[in-house]
Amino acid sequence: MTDLPVKEGLFHIPESPDDKPYLIGSRCRVCGYTSFPKKEVCLKCRRNDTVEEITFSPYATLENFAVMQVGSPDFPTPYVIGYVRMKEGVVIFTPITGCEARDDALEVGEEMELTIEKIREDGQGNNLIGWKFKPTRRKTQ
Amino acid sequence: MNKLAREVTIIGVGMHKFGKFMDKGLKDLTRVAVWNAIDDAGIDANKIETAYFANVLAGLITGQECIRGHIFLRDAGFEGIPIVNVEGACASSSIALREAMIAVGSGLYDVALAVGAEKLYLDDTARSIQAMSTNTDIEFMGQLGFQFTGSYSMILRKYMKQYDWTQEQFAKVASKNKHNGSLNPMAQYQKPMSAEDILNSRVIAWPLTLYMCSTMADGAAAAIVCAKEVAHKISNRIPITIAASCLRSGKVTEEDDGQVRVAHDAYQMADLSPEDVEVAEVHDAMAPGEMFRVEKLGFCKAEEVGRLVDEEYFTLNGKLPVNTSGGLAARGHPIGATGLAQIAEVVWQMRGEAGPRQVPGRNSPYPKVGLTQNSGGYVEGSPATVSVTILKS
Repeated sequence: MTDLPVKEGLFHIPESPDDKPYLIGSRCRVCGYTSFPKKEVCLKCRRNDTVEEITFSPYATLENFAVMQVGSPDFPTPYVIGYVRMKEGVVIFTPITGCEARDDALEVGEEMELTIEKIREDGQGNNLIGWKFKPTRRKTQ
Repeated sequence: MNKLAREVTIIGVGMHKFGKFMDKGLKDLTRVAVWNAIDDAGIDANKIETAYFANVLAGLITGQECIRGHIFLRDAGFEGIPIVNVEGACASSSIALREAMIAVGSGLYDVALAVGAEKLYLDDTARSIQAMSTNTDIEFMGQLGFQFTGSYSMILRKYMKQYDWTQEQFAKVASKNKHNGSLNPMAQYQKPMSAEDILNSRVIAWPLTLYMCSTMADGAAAAIVCAKEVAHKISNRIPITIAASCLRSGKVTEEDDGQVRVAHDAYQMADLSPEDVEVAEVHDAMAPGEMFRVEKLGFCKAEEVGRLVDEEYFTLNGKLPVNTSGGLAARGHPIGATGLAQIAEVVWQMRGEAGPRQVPGRNSPYPKVGLTQNSGGYVEGSPATVSVTILKS
């Protein structure tokens, strides 16, 4: 099995235990518009000379989630998907891990943490690697 | 908002019934819908000067990726005229209608055909499901387990928490639409179903259960679009005016994913307000979706929707009948044909031809103002494309 990112350039895969994963996005120097995945052009200013690459904090808050009892091919059910709001403001679609696939296992607003792991097998002998978020279960202030 | 150079009308609509037709291909579905629309308008088909053909998945499902309209309309008798292929996921044929309106409204053509056709049932169900996952960014959400059922589940969860909408109300809406579908000979599902049975069916993604959700479907729908000043010369039909057909894509502001803005655009273009609408077909790939669509369209406030559902406000006998055809979950959702099927339903309602599901107008025998709302695809948290069309007689 070869590990294959769902797409190059979207995230950093840790290479050692001390190495932390992060998502890669972009921010407009003029208006502050933040984007994930990374863009070369600002969607607000519609300019191609104002955008710079940023890395996101690994912590986010759970915006919403759904427990899929019937889902995409190659995804064993039940599984959980959702949206997390990054500290930098952008809301990201994500698979959710680290909890039971039940509607009462998560709470909107709770703290989530990025993890980079296998999403599924791609049918050609590769492990597709992508981002997921898991609840931290830390008490937030 | 810029106006069209001249008034544009619909003089004919037609459908191929929605459902599962293993013995029929896109050529058959297209031909039947197109000729039903031509016969409905009662025009000489040679009057049609241009055609807009909407389809979403034929490329992935049948392999016919290129020149779909040129292939599928050829068997309906069309060559020589300009044919334009249109794709915008579930909103494709609303876009085809809009392009036909623009073509005629500009004065370039007098008569245009808009058609949407989709064939999703085949022996290989996995291929159909895989094909449908391309309605989002395949480098991104498409690979991570995104499904529209999950998207609707999340939106509904939010409204439940914020506005006390209940799963019982979702089942009521689904049951209402199943009833409407049972009165529609063009519908995929023509069996009424109680709210209780819907509520007790298998959970797909809570709060959604099986019978709240649309499934795969085959089908086609078409409309003949004609300049108002020409309509009476070629057709005996009372022309129905396209008062507005508006389109937006993606997020408009942080608060609005485009659905509110596109409705606003349409009311402005039509010079009408939400209160003027007497019948509406809205995009409910999962039937409870109707509840947030009516809010986005300005028919009522989010905090009122639950009560209005309980008061049967949106039923055939209600103050504002919604999804009289059965909506996407009951009439069926062959994605590229859905927008024009919504249009066909509203045209039938406005002409008084909707049979046992006919609704009355507020100050006239039949509705004078009808609206359709249609969304397609999903990109980074917003519908990829949103459309609102307003018809007026």
